[in-house]
Amino acid sequence: MAFVNIQNLTYKYPLTKTPALQNVNLQIEQGEFLAVIGANGAGKSTLCYALAGFVPHFFKGEISGEVEVDGIASSKSTLDEWVMNVGLAFQNPFNQISGAKYTVFEEIAFGLENMGVPREQMKHRVEEAMKLTGISNLADRSPYSLSGGQQQRVALTSILVMQPKLLVLDEPTSQMDPIGTREVFAVIRDLSNSGITVVMVEHKIEWVAQFADRVVALKDGSILMEGKPSDVLTSEILIENGFGVSRYTLAAREAKKQGLWKKEKLPVTLLEAAEGFEINK
Amino acid sequence: MHERLSFYIKRDSLLHRLNPLTKLTLVLALILLAFLTPWYWIAPFLFVFILIPLSFIGKVWREFFFTATRLIFPAAGFLFVMQALFQPIGEEIIFQLYFLDATQESLLFAFRNAMRITVMVSAFTVFLLATHPSELMSDLTRRGLPGQFAYVIIATLQILPQMQAKAQTIIAAQRSRGLDTESTILKRASAILPLVGPLVFGSLVEVEERAIAIEARGFTSKKEKTSLHEIPDTPFDKALRWALISITVLSIMLNLWLS
Repeated sequence: MAFVNIQNLTYKYPLTKTPALQNVNLQIEQGEFLAVIGANGAGKSTLCYALAGFVPHFFKGEISGEVEVDGIASSKSTLDEWVMNVGLAFQNPFNQISGAKYTVFEEIAFGLENMGVPREQMKHRVEEAMKLTGISNLADRSPYSLSGGQQQRVALTSILVMQPKLLVLDEPTSQMDPIGTREVFAVIRDLSNSGITVVMVEHKIEWVAQFADRVVALKDGSILMEGKPSDVLTSEILIENGFGVSRYTLAAREAKKQGLWKKEKLPVTLLEAAEGFEINK
Repeated sequence: MHERLSFYIKRDSLLHRLNPLTKLTLVLALILLAFLTPWYWIAPFLFVFILIPLSFIGKVWREFFFTATRLIFPAAGFLFVMQALFQPIGEEIIFQLYFLDATQESLLFAFRNAMRITVMVSAFTVFLLATHPSELMSDLTRRGLPGQFAYVIIATLQILPQMQAKAQTIIAAQRSRGLDTESTILKRASAILPLVGPLVFGSLVEVEERAIAIEARGFTSKKEKTSLHEIPDTPFDKALRWALISITVLSIMLNLWLS
């Protein structure tokens, strides 16, 4: 059975009329890197909350269906047990800083303190995690004095250090520059290769195409499409439904109409585009 | 750069190395001695022979004198003048100011109260200058203070400057769209009022996100928590605490027995 198993999940926030998620069925294998795309209000963040146990343990409202991770249903667990296996980092880095700590090092150790990890082991794990995400140089800074991108790295590291089996990331690179984004994607790719399951909401489609194993496109709370990045991200269905696709895809699509793109498949990244275009002389 | 709402000055001194609880006991002992004993000399004595030397031991005397001259003495002086003039005790008038008169008794009464306040505020100042807030809180948590309580204290200290910065941002943004911040007070107040909404509601939304964030990091975990920093609690600390408690209790009992 799949590591993550979502069955017929329908969820409605309190005081809203339409469900945020509708009949979602999704299976994710261990070590898979799954990217989730979709417009604002498509249910991406709600899906993240459902995976991380905050729906239904934190947000009330009507829920039906089941979320299972590693064979345990979230409805049968409690939030404080659930977060030990499922890590969640979300978009706004400022609100993810605990506020209880004065340095980045202490901030990252916060989760381990709560888990009751012994001191020596804690220091070691914090150092390793900071090395992994490339923020060792920030250890003694105040988390509030950092830039948005740096804060996002701290937020991500604070979750990674807890060594979750499932990592749920809601636009973790939204405030990072291209180099930072690339580094973070590479780190997440490595984690996924080492057996950690990753679910990541991300708008940066070219990066998704390069790094993710599978893409799920959400629309109005339901799964519109899922499959390999190269298939999903270039599909007509996505374009018809108003998803933002890569400019290389759009360019090649126009070129195809004029006979300048001969390949069957449309490109997503610059590299694929550069290899595929033919110039008519 | 955001300013931190903490007095802590990082130095290496005997006072800094003391266990936070020992320092807290010291502060409370000083305050109790100053307030619960009737002798006039006790508060000035504690200030000159305990607090000033302590600020030198803690290597924070410069900051302490700065706070004392800028804040503590003016406030205590004001208290002294008010109480000396308005306290209707004593017969023998020393001097008069219109219908207000100061007597020997009212002067002594005012002096004692002003010195008590001086000792109290000074003791806390020296304490906060030489104690890291998160060290204090993790030590108290280890001794049984609820974690949520400690979190609220520390997070408030850190988040207040952030809220202040956000208020500034909102005002700057509205000013660039023509908000009146320079005419009469009444006009300014009525212009500012609608801006309070976004600040308050924005903060409420933030509270929800922050709750999710700390929950995601196991804040409500039922496991026994550990602490990154080892906070030393030496036999010397324990002895000092017992000595302080004994001195305080003895002097209060002595005082009860005498009266």
